Amino acid sequence: MDVTMSYTTQEIWTWWIAVYLYLGGLGAATLVVTFLTDMYLKNHRALVLWGAFSGIAMLSVGSLMLFIHLLDPRAVLHVINPLVLFRQPHSWIAWGTQFIIWMMWWGLFYALPYLVQSERARKLPLLGAVLRLKVMNRLSNRCCLRFHKTIGWLATINGIGVAVYTGLLLQSFPAVALWHNPGVPLLFTVSAFSTALAYLLLLLNLVIKHEDDYYLKVFYERTDTMLIAAELVILFSFFHYMAAGNESAFRSAQLLWQDMGWLIGFIGLGLIVPFLLELKGVIKGWTGRLPIVTASVLVLAGGYLLRHYFMYAGVYAHPW
Amino acid sequence: MTRFAMVIDLNTCVGCNACMAACAMENQTPVWKNKWRTYVHDKEIGSGEDVHRRFFPRLCNHCDNPPCLSVCPTGATYKLDNGIVKVDEALCMGCRACAMACPYDARLEVTHDDVETGRDFYGEAYRRSRPSMDKCTFCDHRLEQGLQPACVETCVGSARQFGDLDDPNDPVAQMVARGVARPLMPHLGTRPNVYYIDDLKRRG
Repeated sequence: MDVTMSYTTQEIWTWWIAVYLYLGGLGAATLVVTFLTDMYLKNHRALVLWGAFSGIAMLSVGSLMLFIHLLDPRAVLHVINPLVLFRQPHSWIAWGTQFIIWMMWWGLFYALPYLVQSERARKLPLLGAVLRLKVMNRLSNRCCLRFHKTIGWLATINGIGVAVYTGLLLQSFPAVALWHNPGVPLLFTVSAFSTALAYLLLLLNLVIKHEDDYYLKVFYERTDTMLIAAELVILFSFFHYMAAGNESAFRSAQLLWQDMGWLIGFIGLGLIVPFLLELKGVIKGWTGRLPIVTASVLVLAGGYLLRHYFMYAGVYAHPW
Repeated sequence: MTRFAMVIDLNTCVGCNACMAACAMENQTPVWKNKWRTYVHDKEIGSGEDVHRRFFPRLCNHCDNPPCLSVCPTGATYKLDNGIVKVDEALCMGCRACAMACPYDARLEVTHDDVETGRDFYGEAYRRSRPSMDKCTFCDHRLEQGLQPACVETCVGSARQFGDLDDPNDPVAQMVARGVARPLMPHLGTRPNVYYIDDLKRRG
C-alpha cells in the first residue's frame, strides 16, 4: 500500500500560528533577558519597563492570534484553569498557556516597583491614578520589592518555558518529519533569544539611548552573534537530516531549499547578513548605530520568516 | 474486555460512497462543506494500459496511542475502555491541534456557521449545539444498541468489517492476527485500530 503514498502540506495552522509562535518566543525571551540583565548585570529601570511591557504586549497579541481563530472561544476557560495540567499533563498547549499566563503576571509584578517610581507613568491619566493608589504602593514595597529576585526568577523560568514550548508544540505532531524531531525546540529557543536580543538592541539604540549602556550593548551584540552562529549550525544539521531522512522530511527540504524567501530572505538576510554585521561590530566595532540597528531589524524579520516557512513546509504523508 | 477494530478490504470497495452518505446522515456531519467523518479517495494507479482505479476509504483509526489525544489542551479528546476515541464538544475550544497531530486526516471542524446550517439541513433531529472539532466515533451510539457502525452496515461490497480484537473467534481479530489486514503507517507509533487488506498483491 505504501507505493500509493501522496504528500501534502496543511492549511489548518498557517501564518497566524507563525505569528503566535514568533511573538510568544520573542516576548518571553525579551522578558527573560531584561530581568536577568536587571538582576545580575546592571540595574536598569528603563530597560525593565520597556522590556517587560513590550514583552507582555507581544505575548498578548500572539495569544490573541490563537484566541480569535478558535472555533469556540468560550471553551478557552478550560485551558486557562491551572488545574488543566493535572488533566492534560501531556499537552504542550496546556503547559504553554500556563507558562504564558504566569510569565505575564510575574513580569508585571517584577516591573511594578519601577512603574510606581516612574514620574512619567504617575502623570499618565488613567494609569497614573491607579499607580498613585496606596494599595499599589503597598503591593510594590511589601511584596514586589521584598521578593524581587524570586519574582524575577519565576518570570524567567516561565519565560524559558514559553520559548521552549513554541518548539515543543510543533514537535508533538508525529506525522510531519520536519516538526517531529528534537531539533525544533532547540532551534526555536535559540531563535527566540536571538530575536529578543535584537529587539533589546533596537530599544537601547533608538529609544532608551543611555550613554552608559555601551558595555551592555556590546554584551548583547556578542551574545546575539553567538546565537545566530548556533542557529546556522542547527539549520545546517537540519538540512542534512532532511536530505537523507524519510520522504516527508525530504519533501519539506525540497520546499524550503528551493524557495528564495527561505534561502535569501531567512538564511541570507535574516541570519548571515546580521551575523556579519554583528561580527564586524564585535571584532572592530562600528562608529555609528546604523549597522547594528540594521542587523537587529533583519534578525527580527528573520525570526518571523523561520516560523512562517516552518508552518508552510510541514509535509504529511498519506497512504491514499 | 472489548477492543473495537475495523478491517477494510480494498479489493471489494467499489467506490459507491454509500458509507460516506450513511455516516453523514447518521452523524449529521457538515456535508455542505464537503466535510466527512469517513471519506473514500478515488485514485488511478499504474501507467499506460496497466492502470486501475483504487478506492481508498479512510476514517479515524481510533489509535491506541492517539496523538490527537495527547496534544488536546482541554481534555476534550478522550478514549473509552473499548478503544474508541471521542470528542467532548463542551470541552473543545477548537484550536485544531488534533487535526495537526492526526496522521490520518481524520479530524474535521464544525464551525458556528455549520451548526446554524445543520439546524436547517437536518431539522429538529439535529443534535449538535456548539462548534468543535469532530471525528468518527465508530458509531458508538449504535454499538450500544447492538448494531454495527452505519458505514459497515451499509457497505454493499462488505469491504468494511467491524469486530473485537480481544475475541479470538472474531473474523476481524483473526485477519489482523494473521497479518492479512495491516495498519496504516505503523512506524509512527500511533497503534491504529483500522486495518487494511491490500489490493495490489491480488491484482499482480
